[in-house]
Parts: sequence; structure tokens; C-alpha cells
Amino acid sequence: MTKLEQYKEQYANQNIQFIVIGFDGTIVESDQTFLKLNKGDYIYDVHPFFVSYVSVLESSEETITYNCVHLDYLQKQYITDVKMIKKDNHILLLIYDFTDHYLSYQKLAQARNESIINSELVVLKNIELEERERFKNAFIRNFSHELRNPLTSIISITSVIEGTDLTGEQKQMVHFLKESNANLKLLLDDIMSISLIASGKLQLRDKVFSLFGLLQLIEFTYKTKAAQKSIDFVLNYDKKVPEFVEGDRLRLFQVLTNLCDNAFKYSKEGAVTLNVKLNQKRANKVNLRFSVSDTGIGIPQEKVDAIFESFTQLDDFGKKQGSGLGLSIVKGLLELMDAKIRVESIYGKGSEFYFDVTLKFPLDLASRPISKYTFKSSGSSKKIDERKYKLLMVEDDEQIQTVLFKALMDTNLFYIDLVNDGAMVFEQVANNTYDIILMDVDLPNVPGDHLTQLIRDFPFKNIKNIPIIGITANAFEENINDYLNKGMNAVVTKPFELTELVETVLKLLKK
Amino acid sequence: MQKSKKIVILGHFGVGKTSLIRRFVKDSFSDNYKVTIGVHITKKVVELSPDESISLIIWDLEGTDDIRMIRESYLLGTHGVVFVFDVSRPSTFQNINEDLQIVTSKTKETPVMVVGNKVDLIILSELQSLLEENNIQANFLTSAKTGDSVNGMFTQLASLLNDQA
Repeated sequence: MTKLEQYKEQYANQNIQFIVIGFDGTIVESDQTFLKLNKGDYIYDVHPFFVSYVSVLESSEETITYNCVHLDYLQKQYITDVKMIKKDNHILLLIYDFTDHYLSYQKLAQARNESIINSELVVLKNIELEERERFKNAFIRNFSHELRNPLTSIISITSVIEGTDLTGEQKQMVHFLKESNANLKLLLDDIMSISLIASGKLQLRDKVFSLFGLLQLIEFTYKTKAAQKSIDFVLNYDKKVPEFVEGDRLRLFQVLTNLCDNAFKYSKEGAVTLNVKLNQKRANKVNLRFSVSDTGIGIPQEKVDAIFESFTQLDDFGKKQGSGLGLSIVKGLLELMDAKIRVESIYGKGSEFYFDVTLKFPLDLASRPISKYTFKSSGSSKKIDERKYKLLMVEDDEQIQTVLFKALMDTNLFYIDLVNDGAMVFEQVANNTYDIILMDVDLPNVPGDHLTQLIRDFPFKNIKNIPIIGITANAFEENINDYLNKGMNAVVTKPFELTELVETVLKLLKK
Repeated sequence: MQKSKKIVILGHFGVGKTSLIRRFVKDSFSDNYKVTIGVHITKKVVELSPDESISLIIWDLEGTDDIRMIRESYLLGTHGVVFVFDVSRPSTFQNINEDLQIVTSKTKETPVMVVGNKVDLIILSELQSLLEENNIQANFLTSAKTGDSVNGMFTQLASLLNDQA
């Protein structure tokens, strides 16, 4: 044998085993490359795979190849390709040991499959989270809607009671009742805000507004509150801060009042201070730092991150106040403004919450002198002129009917017709002349927004132009915009103060 | 040679085919996912009655998301098929009826058992609606992890194949 033949035998054949078996599965002959086989044994007793030799007998094919077959033999695993070749009176088995090759393929397959499965699981997890979010938001909507109706009745009835002859003790009780109502309304609004922020549906509405006006309103509000609590409220603002800026006034107001409310909540003495400082002014943009500091209980270091999560409150000597949503709303709103809330706090001494926000700075208003903000007194229910107005009230809730009726009659300005079913409105409007309609949205049979559309499509001007005020417990902005788009002139959301509603009616009648 | 029947376990990768076999043969389970390449063959003798048993030669085939890619040689001489899907991963059952048609065309008259595995990961009401929504007629709903219905499924198949013999 030449050297080459020796090497070929040594290396080429070491991974191939040749076995000859009879048609009954008896081993006729075999080398011992890796399976140690005995002549006369049955091949199917060596490994269950070899039962498949029968397939060769049944097949019309002369050769059958099985790729990547795992053969566990004497506690060792071989990964092989097996050829079964049918000869005249026996079967030749060729077993190729490709263990190393297949193990490297196995690693690739493992990585590929794991990656695909993980991607699928991430997608499924996201779908699940989105579904949960949708469910949560739907729940909050329904919850908010269902609470707003009874709360409207409570607030309205409280106002009616307040207007009657009361003893001093009764007046105090009504005062507490009004405070509780206001807190409940704030809580509902907070829950709705957090739901809107979380669902990404809250959009900022940037407009030019007087920042000084906003700050002075806050100063007025919190100086009053501070006087009641025997602590101080201080507003400091940098004179370089422009009077007019462009941003979402409502949401900035919400952020600052949430921070101030929070500061008051945890301060028993000392002062709450709102500072507004100019960081930078460039072209038509201005970067401002707002900070609210207090002399309250402070925040333990380990709780600093948690306070911005929903429903988290510091334990103020065992007392908990509010919903625990305020700072979470602040965080969410500031993120929408590309700003970040930060806090520095010394436990037991007080906290400072601050953020830097960039607002547009309208150049054409830059040189306007600082205006003095004056608080307009709320409109009274004085007669606009001597004649009375004809008002159609469309409302199916009896409690709300009662309080609205009383509040409107007390103004001595209206003749009122009442309809409690959406299906009856059109006929009522067609057969009468009304100056204004108060329209509940959720009516039996035909909803108020749909009725509004029908009225707006009416061919006669005296009907199609009747001012319509929508009343609804659907307090989400998208709902309100929808009702306005359908032709309502104004929308009052439940719960409302009777004075607010009467003012809205009068404002529309003045037009 | 004892009476033996070859069954092949098919389905997409990661649906738990190997785990089902391990539960049935060794009564054990591992959370670690190890990809099967090619085919693993195991034997298990199933006692159908005190004086009757059958040897199941179980072919655990490499999972694939394209059932047409299965090597024809693996299916030669098959007596029964178990098609497994993962109830928690829609991609493994979204086209199940087309997949079953392909399997049937390859295995001819061979009985096919459709098995939804990993039922421990999903609540019963969701499971029922996903079966209805996807028009899946599963013969067994199993959990290799808890062992739910695993023995029952293999034993029923063994019994069916024994009756056919």
C-alpha cells in the first residue's frame, strides 16, 4: 500500500461505516468505525432509527438517503447521514459521521430560531400592552362619563341650596360640600389628563399668550390660598422674561398649578415660591426656568424617582391627600413640551421642583409694555334687555332638569320648554320659535349631536341658526371638538357650576 | 420483532415537539429551548392493555416555518403524524389548515393528530376563541410543561394505530 493509499484509508474512511444487513435486519457484515456491531445481531436493536430499513424494502427506489440523523450509541451522540442501498439479497448501509458539521449548523439554527421567536414575543407583548392600554382608556372614559352625571346633580343642587336661607351651621356644611365637589371634579379631570397623556392623544395647542397674565393669575390664586393656610406665596420673575410667549397656555398653567398645589399640600409653614428666570433668548425662541420651592416635609432620596409615577404619594404623617396624579401629569405634560421635571429636596426641610422649557417668542409683540392683568368679575345673570328669551331644554335626567330649570328660572330671563327624548326635539323646534337650545348629548333615541346636525341642515334660517349649547359627560377634547364641528355653538361638560352654564347661555344670547 | 409503529412529530420550530416527547418518554421537562436539527428518533413501548403493547418509534423532526421543506425520506413508512402548534404564538397556527393539507398530501392515508401545545401559557377562554377564530380543529390541547394531556394524546394515537394494524 502506498503512502497515499494509507492516508486515504486513515482519514477518508474514518468517518464512514459500512454495514451489510439481510432483508430480515440481521447484521451480515460491518466494519467497526464507530458503531461496534456484531455479526448476527439485529440492526433495529442497535438504534430505533434502523427500523426504517424496512422502507427500503417497500420502496421502488434503490437508494434512500436520510440526512442529519441523530444516533445515540454507547452514551455518545453521532449526527450522521445514512444511505441505505438495496442490493440483490441484502442492504448496504453507509453511515457518514458529520457530527462536527451539523453541530456548527445547530448553533446557527439556534441563534436564528431564538431571534425569530423573541421578535414574535416582543410583537405579541406590544399587542397585549396596547390592548391593555385601550381597555384602561375605555374604562377611564366610561368611569369618567358615569361619574360626571351624578356629580353634576350634586354640584347643581349644592348651588341651589346655597342660594336659600341657611343658618350659619348649614352654610358651613354647604361650604364643605362645595369643597368636596370641587375636589372630586379635580380628581376626575386629573384621571382624564393622565389617560390622555398615556394614550398619546393629548396634543399641545400653541398660541401666543401673556405669560405675565398667567403668572399674575397664579399669584392671585395662591396668595388667597396661602392666606388661608397662614403661609406665604411668593412670585419672583426675571424682568427679562418676555411678556408674550407662544405655547400651550392651558397646559403650562396645569403644570404650574399642579406644582404649586403639591407644594402647598406638603407645607405647613414657611413659604411656597414660584420663580421664573430667563435662561436664554435667541432669535424667536426663549428658554425659561420655572421652579416651585416649598418649606414642606421634603422627599427621602429613595422616593425621588417614585413620586413621578401615577398614584404615588408621600406619607405625610399618615395622611394622604389628592389623587397622587399631579406630578405624573406634570412629568407627562413637560415631556410633550420637550422639557423634563427635576427635583432637589432635603428631607425634612423642603423641595424644589424645576424645569427648563423653550417657548417661541413672538418678535412683533416683544416691545409691548408689561400689561397689568385685571381680573374680570364673573358675569352676573342680569337681564340683557327687557324681553324674555325662549329656551328649549333637552335633557332626560330628572335631577339635572330640576336644577337647570330652577337656575334658569331664577334669572327671570327665560320661558322654558322641556323635552326629554331626542325623537321629540325636531317636532318641538319646527313648531316653536326658540332663542336658544340647551342640548344634552346622551339622549334616548336620537343623540344630541345628531339632532344638532339635523337642525343645522334645516332649510329655514330661524331654525338652523338657533344657538345650541351642548351638555355632555363626554369631557374628552376630541368629543367636544366633534360636537362643535357638528354645529353646537358651545359645549359645557359635566359636572358644571350653574353660574358657568348661565354665563354661557347669556354670552351666546348677547351675540 | 415487537409490533412497532413509526410516528413523526411535525410543526413550526419552538412549538415544543421535543418537550412533548421528553415528557412522554422520560416524564421530564426543561425550560431551555434547544433547537432540533434533522431528526431524533426515540422508542417507547406503550401498554395498551395487560396483554397488549405497541412500540412507538417516534421521529422528532426539525421544526420549520415552511412545512413543504420537510425531507421526504423522513416521512417514508410513517404510520401516524402528530402536528404540533404553539397556542401562544399565532405564527405557528395562522396557516395551519394549509400546512395540514401539505402534510396530508405527503403522508397519504396516515392519520394526523393536531395538537395545540403550551396551554399553560394562555387562559381557557382566550384559547377557545383563538381556535374558533382560526378555524382550528385540535384533537388535543397539551402542556409539555405540566404534562396535561401528553400521555393521553400519545396513548390514543398508539391505540388508533394498533387498531389499524
